[in-house]
Amino acid sequence: MIGESMPPRSSVTIVASPRPRVGKTLLARLLIDFHRHEGRPVAGFDLNSGEETVAQFLPEQAKAAAIGDVSGQMAVFDRLIADDGVAKVVDLGHDSFASFFALAEQIGFVEEASKHDIVTAVLFLLTPDASSIEAYANLGRRFPGVLLAPVHNEILGPAQQRAKYPISPGALLLRIPLMATALRRAVSHAPFSFADAESDPGISADNLVELQHWLRRVHIEFRELSLRTLLADLQSAIRIVS
Amino acid sequence: MARPAVILVGADKGGVGKTTVARTLLDYFGAHQMPTRAFDTESPRGTLKRFHPDVTEVVDVTAVPDQMKIFDTLSSSQAWVTVIDVRAGLLSSTLQALSDIGFLESAKKGQITFAVFHILGPSIASLDEIAETARYVGDANYFLVKNFINNTTFFEWDPETYNSYFKRIKNAIEITIPKLNEMACEQVEVAGTPYVTFVANKTINGEPGNNSFVLRGYVRHWLGNVWAEYDRAKLIDLIMPKVETGARQAAG
Repeated sequence: MIGESMPPRSSVTIVASPRPRVGKTLLARLLIDFHRHEGRPVAGFDLNSGEETVAQFLPEQAKAAAIGDVSGQMAVFDRLIADDGVAKVVDLGHDSFASFFALAEQIGFVEEASKHDIVTAVLFLLTPDASSIEAYANLGRRFPGVLLAPVHNEILGPAQQRAKYPISPGALLLRIPLMATALRRAVSHAPFSFADAESDPGISADNLVELQHWLRRVHIEFRELSLRTLLADLQSAIRIVS
Repeated sequence: MARPAVILVGADKGGVGKTTVARTLLDYFGAHQMPTRAFDTESPRGTLKRFHPDVTEVVDVTAVPDQMKIFDTLSSSQAWVTVIDVRAGLLSSTLQALSDIGFLESAKKGQITFAVFHILGPSIASLDEIAETARYVGDANYFLVKNFINNTTFFEWDPETYNSYFKRIKNAIEITIPKLNEMACEQVEVAGTPYVTFVANKTINGEPGNNSFVLRGYVRHWLGNVWAEYDRAKLIDLIMPKVETGARQAAG
């Protein structure tokens, strides 16, 4: 089965937190650009209102979406469930958090996804507040089939309460390393693509070297996560066979 | 085999979603592997027939040959359950006919299981129907169905009036059909399949369908809620009382 004939596996990664301004959009941008860097087809779903959204940073790859009405819900979920070999990244704004997961639960999204052999992962920005901890635990209860991974965005300070974020088998605590202020400013003007930073006139040579170093650390985290997912998959496949 | 069961689905008014309820019943019995047949009285072209062509026959319930087709075959038919979708305005006259041919008498003696699904409309007039039908039904299994599928703005009745009517039928059971999202509802109409077929993303010929996953999800969720109402009303026990007794004996 392994070889060129094997189509890429579809996946759905949801970047989530019930809180605003914790780094969701940055993580969604990094994920989309990571897939591009790896040469995989990718589609971003921007469920955010306001400024500096992923659709503004990556207008080619990410499109604004809304799930307030049924047509919008179909545009998002019918696409997410399509087994087309595309990696899908959802940047889930804090104000859509509850309605997105309520709908996913009602229409049986995770069950349908696993029927199509689509991996569904939720990358949850770790914050120490009780309501986020509860929201995380709640997701674990409601979606046992989802790969649930907490994300420590180092700019938010030390990962307090991280013990309260249990990690799914096959996942890990993902880290977004701290970025120097000057560099952060340089990458925060939309549109901007990490994958195309080399040809971006707004990035100085010094910044580029630093950015590439930083991106390598981010990519190591992402690769580690996908390896673990693969391993957990293999282990469960072996368990089924034996 | 259980004794034959006849379920009359009717209302004295049109547009209250009778056929919707009949369709959910056929899906429900199908899911419980109960051989079921249906008669659609919207002669000559029946809506129920369109969604369940394999098990549905269009009949004129007021004509004697068709009455024979339905009621003389109850024991010989392979089907355990017979669902009759009674055309709007014919509920009372159908019950009258059933009384005339002695069917209601057989039901009273317990030779046949008989149930009425009375779909309620929004107006007080449809409450009067309850009084009307109560005369015939006696202690049949009477289900008063509030159909919210189209989210009609009804049931603003005065509870006192409602209860006074409701109490006229001994042991009547209330069933609520929840609202289904309009777009999902419409897509099933367009697909022209049973609800379960739509949910399974198949066409009426059993080929893979092209229905929206979101809409299928809405329909599945809704149908699950409808069936939960039927479970709560103990519909299966009603049709297969012997099995239940047998199981009780075995357990005891």
